[in-house]
Formats: sequence, C-alpha cells, structure tokens
Amino acid sequence: MFNLIRRDIIIQKNQLFIFIPFILFFIIMGAQPAFTFLVASIFIPFNAFGYDEKAETNILLNSLPYKRTEIIASRYLGAIVYMLLSIGLTSVALFAFNKTFTMTDVVIGSGLFLLFVALTFPLFHIFKPGYITTVVLISFILLSWIAGPVVSFISNHLTGITEFFASLSTPSLYMGATLIVIIIYALSWGISTVIYERKVF
Amino acid sequence: MENVVELINVSKKFKGFSIKNIDLHVKQGFVTGFIGANGAGKSTTIKMMMNLLRPDAGEVKLFGLDYQTNEKDIKERIGFVYDSNVFFEGLNLKDIKRIVAPAYRRWDDTLFHQYVEKFELPLNKSIKTFSKGMQMKASLAIALSHHAELIIMDEPTAGLDPIFRRELLGLLQELMLDGTRTIFFSTHITTDLDRIADYIAFIQRGELVFSKSIHDVTEDYALVKGRIDLLDRDTEKAFVHVHRAPTGFEALTDNTTEVKEIFGDTVVMERASLEDIMYYFKGGIHHV
Repeated sequence: MFNLIRRDIIIQKNQLFIFIPFILFFIIMGAQPAFTFLVASIFIPFNAFGYDEKAETNILLNSLPYKRTEIIASRYLGAIVYMLLSIGLTSVALFAFNKTFTMTDVVIGSGLFLLFVALTFPLFHIFKPGYITTVVLISFILLSWIAGPVVSFISNHLTGITEFFASLSTPSLYMGATLIVIIIYALSWGISTVIYERKVF
Repeated sequence: MENVVELINVSKKFKGFSIKNIDLHVKQGFVTGFIGANGAGKSTTIKMMMNLLRPDAGEVKLFGLDYQTNEKDIKERIGFVYDSNVFFEGLNLKDIKRIVAPAYRRWDDTLFHQYVEKFELPLNKSIKTFSKGMQMKASLAIALSHHAELIIMDEPTAGLDPIFRRELLGLLQELMLDGTRTIFFSTHITTDLDRIADYIAFIQRGELVFSKSIHDVTEDYALVKGRIDLLDRDTEKAFVHVHRAPTGFEALTDNTTEVKEIFGDTVVMERASLEDIMYYFKGGIHHV
C-alpha cells in the first residue's frame, strides 16, 4: 500500500520542480493563505490522476499483486498524506516570506481540499479517460459559480438555517464541519471502491 | 498432471462479441500456445486469467485458487507481458523497477540486473524511446525477476523482427528447463509455436475449438487432397471444411483414422500446419 502512495512521487519527480515555484507564485501574489493551502494540496494527487486516467496504468496496477480495494485506498490515503506534506511545505514557505497565517487557514484549506477530493475522485472512475479533466474543470467552475447565489439564497430566505449556524459556538461549528467532511470523504471512498471493483480494463 | 490455469465453463458477453462456455486447462511445466485470428477472444481470455475482466458465468482458477479470496497470492506467482507497453511512458527502467519491485515479495534484484545486462537495456532512458523489441525485453525482464511460476504473455512476438523473435523463443525454452515453470502465450504467428509449444489451445469467434498436445494435433489433423467425385454428403462429414477446385478438392480433417477408413489410398494426406488448421476452420463449416 505504501508503495502505491510512494509511486506518485516517483512518477512526478520532474514535475515536483514546478511545485515550489507554483506555491511561491500564490504566496507572492498575496493569495489568501487558506486558498494557497488548498491549491498546494491539490497539486500532487490530481497530477497523479492524470496518469491513472490511462487504461495502461490500470492494467499494470491490476496485474501486480494488489487488490482493487488497495488501489483505491492508496488514492484516498495518499491524498491525505500529500496534503499534509504540502501544508508543511507551504507553511515553511509562508514563514520564509513573513506572511502570517492562522490554524484556521490550515483547517479551512485542508477541509476544502478533502471536500474537493471527495467530490471529484469518484468522477475519475465514472467518465471515460480524456473527458475527466474537462468534467472536473467544468464542475469546479459551476460549483464556484453556483455557490455564491446558493449561499445568499439561503441567508435571505432560510433564516432558520443561518440563525442555527450563528447560534453555534465556534468549537462546535468546527467539530460539525470536520464531521461532515469526514463523512463525505468516507462515502466518496466507498463509492469509488464499488465503481472500481466493477471496472473492466 | 496439475493444471495451473483452469477456466471452467467461462462466458463473457460484450456488445457484438462474446466468449462462450470456455473450458480451458493449462498444464504445469509446459508451454501452451494460444492461437486464434485477430478478434477471436484471445486477449479477453487472458484478461480473465489476470482478473482484469470478470466472467459473467463460470469459474477462473489459478494454481487451484480463486481470485475472490486469493487475488494477491495468485498474482504474486504470475509474470505478465502484454502486447502494448503498460509501463509509464515517461519513466526510465530504473524508476519502473522502483514502482514494480516492492509489489512482489519475491522480487530478485540481482536477477533483474542479470536480465538487464543480458538484454542490453539502458536503465536511464525513458521507456518511450525504446523500440518495440526493447520494450518487450523490458517487460520480460520485469516479468521474470520475481520467480514467477506462470508466465502469461499476450502476443509477445507481434511486431518483433524475426531475429529477436527467435531469440525470445530461445529464451523461453531456457526458462522451461527447470521444469516447474509454465508458459501460456497467445500469438497469431503460428510458426513460433511449432518451435516451442507443447500444447495448443485454439479459439475462434469466442469458442474454444480445441486444446490438445501438439502431438495430438499432428496426429488428428491432416490435409486431404483427392478427386471431386470422391465427395458426397456422407464422405464430406469427415472434414472440417472442404475447398473445391476443378482439379480436385483439398480439405482439413480432424480425424485421420476415419479418413483412412473411408478413402483408403484414393486420397493424399499431408500434415496440416497450425496455419492450415486456422485457415480451414475460418471457412466456418463445423461438423460435430
């Protein structure tokens, strides 16, 4: 399992040189720290998926002594591992550039990343290779486009919900959000496993 | 004699193509050649052996184990070579080894380097710069370096020049010397098999026509030539398919004794090559 996670680094060895300037770009441009954490985390796992889109990669992995459940598990665990590494690196870079950030930024960044992973990973196994990147890109744009109006609709019309959130204490709000992210992540993991088990190569 | 691979009544349906009730046994310690025209179902069958595809019905067993409970143990003992490159194109052989090697408990680095030297493979050049023959050698080096008991190859000789094809066949023969290994490989270049195969499995339109030792194939099948007037509805039954020409007929039989009984010395019988057999079966008239 660990080998499967390590594989992403071996494959992307060369692209990793882009990783540092990529983070630095966001830091120097003065992007929100939470947003910087998010994009830094996305870099390795989604780049790796670019490779896994190919049928050959799946033929190789499934011909080696791995179970399909392990291949999926390595994706989901790998995303967390690389997220932690990316957050570490980004924090160092932020320190180096004297930019301040709080624990909240880290939590929001990683929370959004895990949500994004949970929503997109199953898509990689549903759509045909070649379409996936487009689908993910479009869904990302659609989501960010819809999110604004939806939130304002909720705050204007469903005052009950907003009042409920406002009444929550900060710790319980965080706890709740964490719990929801974990549940969605686990669900996504389960769905991906079921889809992948049925796949034909 | 133990069977390393057993397909029992296996069926798989696709749009416009299906594998129908295949019963195939691959014997331990022998080379089995898997022949059939393009699109006959060779790759599909191999994919089911590798658990890349799951059959709709029937059982697939390797080393007497099934994939549901023993997937890792089974794959640990298989070396695979596919007709196209399945390794990450941009990587060099060293990195590919780094990815593949830890997957196997019995990976043997010394052995791997022996093969790399023997095949004269560059470790630091990316796989996509390799010629077809070199890619094949690279896959082979990886397939052979974890002491696999069963080597499954899908069209390993396709697209290779004749010299390397011979080298490859020589190497496979060498591998068989220790007596415990089993090789199963598909091909449509039947002359490869005359050299090394012990058993032949022949698939056509998703159905297994036969699976026999090469000795039995040469005993049972023959090309028969004779005058047209010898043929009638009864005598024709002895043949798989008959070609008629004004000068006489030429036909394939799968029962040489019967032909001898019916025709005696009035016809000429010749040894049928695997290519002849495939060609006449393609004619499509089955008699059962």
